[in-house]
Amino acid sequence: MPNIRYANMSHWKAIPYRQIDNFREFYYEDKTNSAYYSDWDTILKYQSALGFPGIEIAPWDLADILPLFGSPENFTSFAKDRGIEVIGMFHGAHASHAADHFDEAVRAGREAVDTIVKFGGQYMNTCPTENYCGTGPLSREEVQQCAKAMNEIGRYATDHGVKLGLHNEFFCAINIENHRELIELTDPRLVHYCIDTAQIAIMGEDLLTFYNDYNDRISIFHLKDTASQRQPDSVRYARDPEITDDGTRWFWEPGLGELDLKGLYHALKQYGFKGWMSIEYDGSPDLLASMALTRYYLDNELRPIYD
Amino acid sequence: MNSDQISISLDLINRHYQEPNRNRFESRYFWEELYSLISASGLRAIEIPYEPVWQFGGRSGVPMNRYCINTKYESAASYRTELGKHGIDRVAGVTFDPNLFMRNDNLDFFFGASGHFAGEAVAHAADLGADYFAISPSPYYGRAAHYHPDLETKRATFVDRQTDALRSLAEKAAASGVTLVLRNEYWSLFRCEDILPLLDALPDGVKLDIDTASLTIAGVDPAAFIAAHQDRIGCVHLTDTNFVDTNETWKTANPEFPEHRATQVFRDPGTGGVDLPGIVALLDRQGYAGPVVFSARQTRDPFRALLRIRALLNQLSN
Repeated sequence: MPNIRYANMSHWKAIPYRQIDNFREFYYEDKTNSAYYSDWDTILKYQSALGFPGIEIAPWDLADILPLFGSPENFTSFAKDRGIEVIGMFHGAHASHAADHFDEAVRAGREAVDTIVKFGGQYMNTCPTENYCGTGPLSREEVQQCAKAMNEIGRYATDHGVKLGLHNEFFCAINIENHRELIELTDPRLVHYCIDTAQIAIMGEDLLTFYNDYNDRISIFHLKDTASQRQPDSVRYARDPEITDDGTRWFWEPGLGELDLKGLYHALKQYGFKGWMSIEYDGSPDLLASMALTRYYLDNELRPIYD
Repeated sequence: MNSDQISISLDLINRHYQEPNRNRFESRYFWEELYSLISASGLRAIEIPYEPVWQFGGRSGVPMNRYCINTKYESAASYRTELGKHGIDRVAGVTFDPNLFMRNDNLDFFFGASGHFAGEAVAHAADLGADYFAISPSPYYGRAAHYHPDLETKRATFVDRQTDALRSLAEKAAASGVTLVLRNEYWSLFRCEDILPLLDALPDGVKLDIDTASLTIAGVDPAAFIAAHQDRIGCVHLTDTNFVDTNETWKTANPEFPEHRATQVFRDPGTGGVDLPGIVALLDRQGYAGPVVFSARQTRDPFRALLRIRALLNQLSN
């Protein structure tokens, strides 16, 4: 059994079909590649074939997935038949820094935990609050409030067999100036951390230093590369930071950016990390190509260091 | 038909479904190039599908709501100026469907959220100088039935609440100088002739929006429907299809993607079985002078669709 198992965070946009039984007929309608990206059966087969036996669901996809499959359990069963397990779901803990929003933040967090349990997942990677723009800078009390909400949601998650992992975006109101403060304020028994390798590097953390400092809190990784480390406040605090006007990409497939991912794998070996590495392809023009490129890089550059 | 009367819907771009290169659609540069390509195809007016979803999650490069326009252009007026630089003279209309808000078993949430954003969309349409605001009066029947298995027993309540909401919207639209038109999709609770009692319950200024493919899929001859209701028509969407709904796909949760036989329900205009030249000729004979919109929703290649529309327009001109 390898120490690291590989998953994909689902960045597929809406997939309209469960399974296409008339694939050839569908293809011939207009002879484009739409048929290759239109059903979960095919998408999950791509994952399985390329060695990614886990999938992390995106909450914004639930409104499509649930009517399509009828229930989370049905989706999980469908995926399992194709060799894929649901490992968890992302969650945005909106306004958790606001004391008057505490009950709502906890309620929404618990609902997300319940959903993950129905999917059979174990991880809830959680963005701690809103974007910086319109919310930041946070006061010390607001960071403390955020930690209080995370602890409360984390307690419920732990009780239900789910690990809440803080997942910081580079444009979140929790940012470089209070990122570590939030982690320190949370209860390590209830609140873990999901390192998104690119997001924290763009925010200004040094990836290897951060992992070295917090290796005992890490529940899971979101692995992706970037060529845009340590962006200035003007970028991180912008109104609409994630998608650029000119098509500049923040995120790249592992090996196509500038992060020291081989150094990370040496550190994983040093600390004996065991768990899931969830790959993210946000910004890719071709998720299947990204998946294949990633598999090549994993097998030839990273897994020889630590598997 | 005067081609200046004809616009194209930005539903040409598949914003929500997976396909290679889809990521471009979220950046501003893509749309500003698209406007120039639309203009180069000889179309100088666009229709905007109003989609609140782009307001959430930092995706405001997609110009489908007021928040996005204000984020990228500061105001609707500046956006119109930018459109003009790319050869687009006007925004003919704005459409709105409430499917995003049919996501749980709470009808109060559905009517509250869809009512709020529809109101915002009408105001945005007015700011853009649009002629019409085309609203889908229901979510997908099947999506509603998924969250409300007792939908049929709730139908009367749903109709009453939607009628009240549309009356309020009609007032707002009229005060803004925008014509409210009701879409008549094949997947609606108000499909086919069921739209007519709803229209009757609304102020006279509210009109019908004809969707040629939707009527065809619902088993209604669009030409006959247009002829029967010519005085009530406020907008025409020229859509095409080859789809025959033999399995009540209209009642499913995702009716534009038939679950038992994958197919492109809406074909690029001119490539399906709807007699679009015949429809245009009929509208001409009736002296219809309202908005006419080409829609290539679900196209597998938007730029090919654009040229297919151009080719069809050339055919209509001849």
